[in-house]
Amino acid sequence: MQSPVTPLKADFSLDLPTFERLLDFHVRTGAPAISWPHHKGESLNLTIDERKLFAEAAVRVVNGRVPVTIHVSGLAVEDTMELARHAQHIGADGILAITPYFWNPSLEAIEAYFVRLCGVIELPVLSYNSPSYLAGIEITGELMSHLIDRLPNFVGVKEASFNSEKFLEISRAALALRPDFAMLTGVEYLLPSVPLGGVGSYSAAGSICPNLCGALFEACLRGDWPRARELQSKVSWLWLLFRDQYPSSLKGGMVMMGRPVGPTRAPLPTATPERQAHIRNELERLGILDSEPYGW
Amino acid sequence: MPAFAPGLVHTPVTPFARDGAIDFALYGRLIDFQLANGAQALALPMHAGESVSLTDRERRRLIEFAIAHVQGRAPVIAHVSDAGTATAAALARHAREAGAAAVVVTTPYYWTPPPAMAIEHFAQIGAAAEIPLFIYNAPDEMQGSRVTVDFCSMLIARLPSFAGVVDLSLDWQFMIELMTRAPELKPGFRLISGTELFVSCAAIGAIDMFAPLAGVAPKLVHELYTLCRAQKLFEARPVQEQLAALRQAVKPAGVAALKAAMRAMDRDCGEPRAPLLPLNPARRQRLVSEIDAIAALWSEPRGW
Repeated sequence: MQSPVTPLKADFSLDLPTFERLLDFHVRTGAPAISWPHHKGESLNLTIDERKLFAEAAVRVVNGRVPVTIHVSGLAVEDTMELARHAQHIGADGILAITPYFWNPSLEAIEAYFVRLCGVIELPVLSYNSPSYLAGIEITGELMSHLIDRLPNFVGVKEASFNSEKFLEISRAALALRPDFAMLTGVEYLLPSVPLGGVGSYSAAGSICPNLCGALFEACLRGDWPRARELQSKVSWLWLLFRDQYPSSLKGGMVMMGRPVGPTRAPLPTATPERQAHIRNELERLGILDSEPYGW
Repeated sequence: MPAFAPGLVHTPVTPFARDGAIDFALYGRLIDFQLANGAQALALPMHAGESVSLTDRERRRLIEFAIAHVQGRAPVIAHVSDAGTATAAALARHAREAGAAAVVVTTPYYWTPPPAMAIEHFAQIGAAAEIPLFIYNAPDEMQGSRVTVDFCSMLIARLPSFAGVVDLSLDWQFMIELMTRAPELKPGFRLISGTELFVSCAAIGAIDMFAPLAGVAPKLVHELYTLCRAQKLFEARPVQEQLAALRQAVKPAGVAALKAAMRAMDRDCGEPRAPLLPLNPARRQRLVSEIDAIAALWSEPRGW
């Protein structure tokens, strides 16, 4: 599933026409769903009004061709609730929310947070587990069981620990209670997660190499492990490349693919011409320049 | 040096008698049990075998005893980690002289040397051992100390006998990067799963597994290993989930829980040594209930 970056003009203001082109590009290149704005979309560097504006654009441009979910996490929980209500109001298909930022919430506080969030809207809610970015704060298997027990619209998790034990702890708890609970990995670690019951992932590299990402997913679903290993190796290499200064490296790479989306808002850096050239060399070495679409 | 293929590696506990001494008679019995129940190799004494609670003399005696007792039925991998480089190197030299097939080593205990010194640590142990050396990468057990792929690449260049990583980081980002880069530098380089969370690791390309739970659930461990070796990864998922449940029940109390679980299977190997404490009766009862709830364990062998 694709979570588009947020295109910006040279003065760092939102670039709506390019965002519309990017959404359309993702849908045309096979994205089974769209979700915006993840951290990759610089969610925390946008105002609440900007987030609402582009959320509306996403729903309008995708126009029912694939489901659209809105990432509603804000530093203030009250903003999160407002964004969730807004997502429902504009006709989004679901929302996504990470465990609360900054406060190192207890398991009880995380539970209370998701209970409230799932109560303010009727849309399906996906949770987002990212212990390595949030000082070890995570959803345990036991908490997952509680949430599924209590909340009929709590339907899945974006799991970003990338760790066998943590994934299994959550998947065992969740799938036992709700067999269609969606276990999704944060970026394209599909090879290690699909055999454990993973049903997909969000995509870091989809704006660069949608063909490669699609082929990896297909190979995993088929159980063609030798092919999947070969593709996963490439995709993971790209993740390590883009993880460094994420998402500015990704925006830099998009320039090299003929899909420029502008700078990255501070405090994140914008990829320098040298960084862009380095990324281009890596894309060439991996054969991406020859096998993936150029331009829009 | 010919490639060494560990396969399914059991990592037995170390039985202690009531007076705290190693119970060698029982250890022999345990080794026979492991070999009769699927072990293709043994690695000992791992942390599950309380290596750090054994004296230097006991560690040597244990390795000698195990190799003599095994009588060539399976290769023995000696765990030779220590804080000091010379101490670990001496254990490694002894392991080779005693007939071990390979050594496995962690980053140094307690110290956190910079990469160049850690390279030197492993290189000196490897030079003393001469036999293949595997790094045991277990950040949870080692206060967060872990190896990186850059580090492994440097060690490959420095130490020809560096044969692979036994992984307990369980980190997909590390494992995939390792298996992308290391085999290009050294054909045959191995990623070995450090525990019975094998499905993802096998998907990534591991064909060997260390099995600390094999003394408790050897049939389940063997089934997981066999399915993953055949790349039947979807089929392996239910077995994997049962073993993940067992691991989750045992892990919080570590070796004390592992030994309590051994006793629950009627293979009593005594209690752990100080500073570890045995489980109190309430926790022991809870562990037994949790184990009893894992249906897949009902068909496991009881007793010896």
